[in-house]
Amino acid sequence: MIRVTDDVIIKTIARILIPFIQVYALYVIMHGHYSPGGGFQGGVILAASLVLLLLTHGWEETKKKFNETRIAVFCAVGVLIYAGIGLLCLILGGNYLDYSQLSKLLSVLPAEARSLGILGVEIGVGLTVMAVMFSIFFDISTGGDSPEDEGQE
Amino acid sequence: MEVTLLVQATDDAFKMIEDARHQAIGILDTAVGLTSETRDIQKRNIQAIFRGAQESRTKFQNFIGTFLLLSVFWLLLSGKFDAFHLTLGGICCLIVSLLTYDLLFTNIRIGDYRLVTGRFLSYVPWLIYQIILSNIHVAALALKYKLPVDPQVMKFKTKLETDISWVTLANSITLTPGTITMDIKDGEFYIHALDQKVAEDLDTGEMENRIAHIFMEADHIYVQDVLDVARIYGAIR
Repeated sequence: MIRVTDDVIIKTIARILIPFIQVYALYVIMHGHYSPGGGFQGGVILAASLVLLLLTHGWEETKKKFNETRIAVFCAVGVLIYAGIGLLCLILGGNYLDYSQLSKLLSVLPAEARSLGILGVEIGVGLTVMAVMFSIFFDISTGGDSPEDEGQE
Repeated sequence: MEVTLLVQATDDAFKMIEDARHQAIGILDTAVGLTSETRDIQKRNIQAIFRGAQESRTKFQNFIGTFLLLSVFWLLLSGKFDAFHLTLGGICCLIVSLLTYDLLFTNIRIGDYRLVTGRFLSYVPWLIYQIILSNIHVAALALKYKLPVDPQVMKFKTKLETDISWVTLANSITLTPGTITMDIKDGEFYIHALDQKVAEDLDTGEMENRIAHIFMEADHIYVQDVLDVARIYGAIR
C-alpha cells in the first residue's frame, strides 16, 4: 500500500505543479501533428501527474478526481475513438484509418481532414495510455487489492 | 444610618464602574482613532487585508483563477493564435481547471492576490542579492587552505502559519548557498548550515519576517485583533 508523504514541501509543490503538468500533457497531445510528441507521450505525462497526486495526497484525494470506474471508462473510450475513426474511414469507402475519406463528412479539404483525423486518433491514444498507465501503477502499488473493497469489509 | 451607608457604598461602586467605563471608551476611541489614521495612510492595503480576513474565496472564483492562469501557460506553450488552436486550448484548460480547481488556490485565505503577487515580486530581488552575498562567502570558505567549515544542524520554530509560506521559506533557505532545509516537522525547521556565520545570518529571522510580510501573516493577526476589539467596543457603547 502507498504510504502518504507527510512532507509539507513535497505536498505543496506537487499541488501547485499538477495543473501545469496536465496542461502541458494536453498541449503535447493536441500539437502532436505539428511538433514532437503525440498521444502516447502526452498520455504518459498525464498519467504521471495523476501518479504524483496519488503519491503525495493519497488515494482518498485522488479518488475524487479519478476513481476506478473512470479508469475503466477511459480505457474503453480511448480505444473506441481510435477504432471508430478507423472504421468510419472504412465505411466511407477508403482503407482502415484512411483519414482523407473524412473530408466527405466534415466538408473540408482532404489534407485538413487528415490533420483532424490524426488529432482525433491521438486524443483516443492519449486517453487509453493515461488510463492504462495509471491503472498499472495503481495495481502494483496496492498489490491488486482495491482500497475501496477494503473499506467495505 | 446603615441604610445610608449602604446606599452611599452602592453609589460609589456605580460611580467607579461608570468611571471605568468612560476610561475604557476613551482608550478604545484612541485605538480606533489610531486604526483610522493607519487606514488613511494605507487605505487600499488595509481594505484588501480586511476583505481577505473576512471573505473566503468560493469554488467558482478558484475555478476562474485556475482557468486564467492555465490559459496564459497554454498560450506560452502553444504560440499558435488561430481560432482552431485557441478553441482547443480553451477546452483543455477548461477540463484541467474543472479537475484541479481545489489544488492551486487552497489555504491562501489572507489578503488579495494582487497585493501578494506584488510583494512577492519585490521579494525576489532581495533574495537574489542574498544569494550573491552567500555565494561569495561560501566561495571564500572553499578557497581558504585550512577549509574553516563548521557544519551544524540547527532547529528553529517558525511563526509562519500557512503551508505556502513554509515552502517559500524552506526553498529560499535551500536556494541560499551554505544552508539547506532538511525537514519541516510541525512548524519546526531543521536546517543544515555550513558554518557559524551563515547560521547566525539565518537566525536573525529577516527572511522569515519578509515572507510573513508577503503573505500578510503579521498584518492578518493585527487586523484580527482590531476586529475582536471592535466587537467589545460595540457592546460597551
